[in-house]
Amino acid sequence: MIDSLIIYSVLSPIASWWQAWTGSGSVLLYSAAIIIYAIAVMIMISIFAYIFGWVERKVIAKIHHRHGPTYVGKYGILQNLADIIKLLAKENITPANSDRLLVKLAPILLLAIPTFLILLLPLSQSLQATNLGLGLLIIFVIIAFLPLAVFIAGFATGNKFADISAQRSVLMLVSYELPMVIVVAAIALAAGSFNLASIISAQAGFTYFAIAMPIGLFVFFVAMLAEMERPPFDLREADSELIAGWLTDFSGPYYAIALFIDYTKVFLGSLLIAMLFLGGWLGPVLPGVVWLILKAFIIALFVIIIRAATVRMRIDRILRFGWTWLLPLSLLNLILVYILFAI
Amino acid sequence: MPTRINIGPVHPSTHGVLRLVADVEGDTITNLEPHIGFLHRGVEKLVETRMYMQSPPYMEKLDYVAPLAMDDAYVATVEAALGIEVKERAMYVRLIQLELQRIASHLFFTGALCNDMGLMFTMFMWCFEDRDRVLDLLAQTTGQRMFYVSMRLGGVTLDLPPDFADNCNEFLDYMEKRLGAYENFMEKNPVFMERMKGVGVLTSQEAKDLGVTGPVLRASGVPYDVRKAKPYYVYDKLHFEVQTDNRGDNLARYRVRIMEIRESARLIREALRQIPEGDAKGMPVKLIGPAAKNRTVTVSRECPRGEAMMYMVADPQKPYRLSIRSPNFVNLSALPHMAKGHRLGDLFAIMGTLDLVMACVDR
Repeated sequence: MIDSLIIYSVLSPIASWWQAWTGSGSVLLYSAAIIIYAIAVMIMISIFAYIFGWVERKVIAKIHHRHGPTYVGKYGILQNLADIIKLLAKENITPANSDRLLVKLAPILLLAIPTFLILLLPLSQSLQATNLGLGLLIIFVIIAFLPLAVFIAGFATGNKFADISAQRSVLMLVSYELPMVIVVAAIALAAGSFNLASIISAQAGFTYFAIAMPIGLFVFFVAMLAEMERPPFDLREADSELIAGWLTDFSGPYYAIALFIDYTKVFLGSLLIAMLFLGGWLGPVLPGVVWLILKAFIIALFVIIIRAATVRMRIDRILRFGWTWLLPLSLLNLILVYILFAI
Repeated sequence: MPTRINIGPVHPSTHGVLRLVADVEGDTITNLEPHIGFLHRGVEKLVETRMYMQSPPYMEKLDYVAPLAMDDAYVATVEAALGIEVKERAMYVRLIQLELQRIASHLFFTGALCNDMGLMFTMFMWCFEDRDRVLDLLAQTTGQRMFYVSMRLGGVTLDLPPDFADNCNEFLDYMEKRLGAYENFMEKNPVFMERMKGVGVLTSQEAKDLGVTGPVLRASGVPYDVRKAKPYYVYDKLHFEVQTDNRGDNLARYRVRIMEIRESARLIREALRQIPEGDAKGMPVKLIGPAAKNRTVTVSRECPRGEAMMYMVADPQKPYRLSIRSPNFVNLSALPHMAKGHRLGDLFAIMGTLDLVMACVDR
């Protein structure tokens, strides 16, 4: 009976993988395997977030003709650690008129969504928690909850700037979600599968989807920038307009979590682009997971440079941009992919 | 039902301590009310208790982005009250210093505008790098980088150093090149242009009615510049164009300032060629100065932010009354008119193009 439960649950592929690997089928062992894998992925996210945070500071400083962090550790590598310790040591202030439960839950929800999604991603041919047949679909269903979590966080603190930020969050969701999903549909069409592992193996031999559908890459990258709240789409935490948007009333450890969420989202977005367009773990010599993270990091570098190069868009312009540019482009991409792959 | 939000006095882009009470519906501003006075120091009253030449340091703190301009306006008022003639060479030296100050101030504007629009510090750092070179040049001729107090009655403290003309020309060449790069960087960015074009439009009639001056007025197509309308120093001997733009929007206000940097560079080059030999030193600062000749004087000057006017009722040894017309104060009063109906994000872009300095608004 337990076996049938597992088979019908999402975890069935993990179970079979574990079974194949160990030759035993104990539930306790499956759970242990999942927990160990989750902890390993969390550590990987933390390392990426840390290095990304440092590289972002350094690269932006170089563009600004500054030095960036230099004092804490060699080349300021420990500066972010010092900042995290400082934030964790600070008092956590919850505003009087906020919803105390939601204020505590929203950052956790916001951290849980991208972390869970990274857990679902196959990191290499062998390193994957699960091999879902409809993996791509599930990821983009769950990703749509991210702006809603921002919405909850914005309304929870009871700050008026956070309120405006929450409203903007929903408006942005309307503008970029549809083109993004249409590009995903084009990818599924090209690969003939919703399974992430088959999508990557469909790109073998340098037939990366980035070459096959450059328009799709553009639309997806822009939509991902919006999803990650990165400039020029950082309207939710627009620092020169809304102070810090939904983050305005977060302090101490919760603010540290919010910063971590930011980097986790960048990691998720870069991983997705690397997998869907740049062949994921495919590459010579080095192990697959190294290739994947290398590709993700190169995409993250573009995200940093864009931050240093452009002013923020206005909310009504984002809506117009989404519906008059991204949506037709994504449809054009779908038609081109149909002609290229299906006929 | 609009939400009333309180922006400032502590906010990342209010340029100091300005409090704005805004009624917003969603993201659209329906009503805006600036509250000022957080930086009120009572300078006008303070001046009444000081001898004439004890006050320039206070005047420099009015507009701390362009201190020399306000210093000059005050010293010129005192000179008019006491009936002191400025030496010919000193006029040129002052003009060069003022135009350098205008370049520094407009560079600050360009950087701060991009900051307000969400480009965090890229343009700001680049502009500050160049502004730093202007400050170095000013340090060569005045001895200070930030608060100069270099104007003296009838002249200046220090003359131009011998290698100043070469340094200055070298800088101006560099600046013109950089300015081209900045224009490319900003105006080829569709997001930047989208947020500048047609936003915060002030028609020429509205601009005149609201009494705005300086680049804000000229961007609405009114060719009024105190340097041309009531020439002082040697502005009538030099060749320059009053930069205007007919569009009256954010882009026009930004363009006018960029063009003014070029005009200032032209003015400095010409002044450096024409500057006569002679003495530029002013009178030493004494607590007891010469007695006032004129009872009341009004002097107006084209500061980087607009027309600064000083009205003085003179007593023999110190001002009986000084009244300052601050260009920032009047320009700020146009903000509610310009921002109404725009998005919250555009409010800060419009405020950025007004180039406010709150110390000058509150006095």
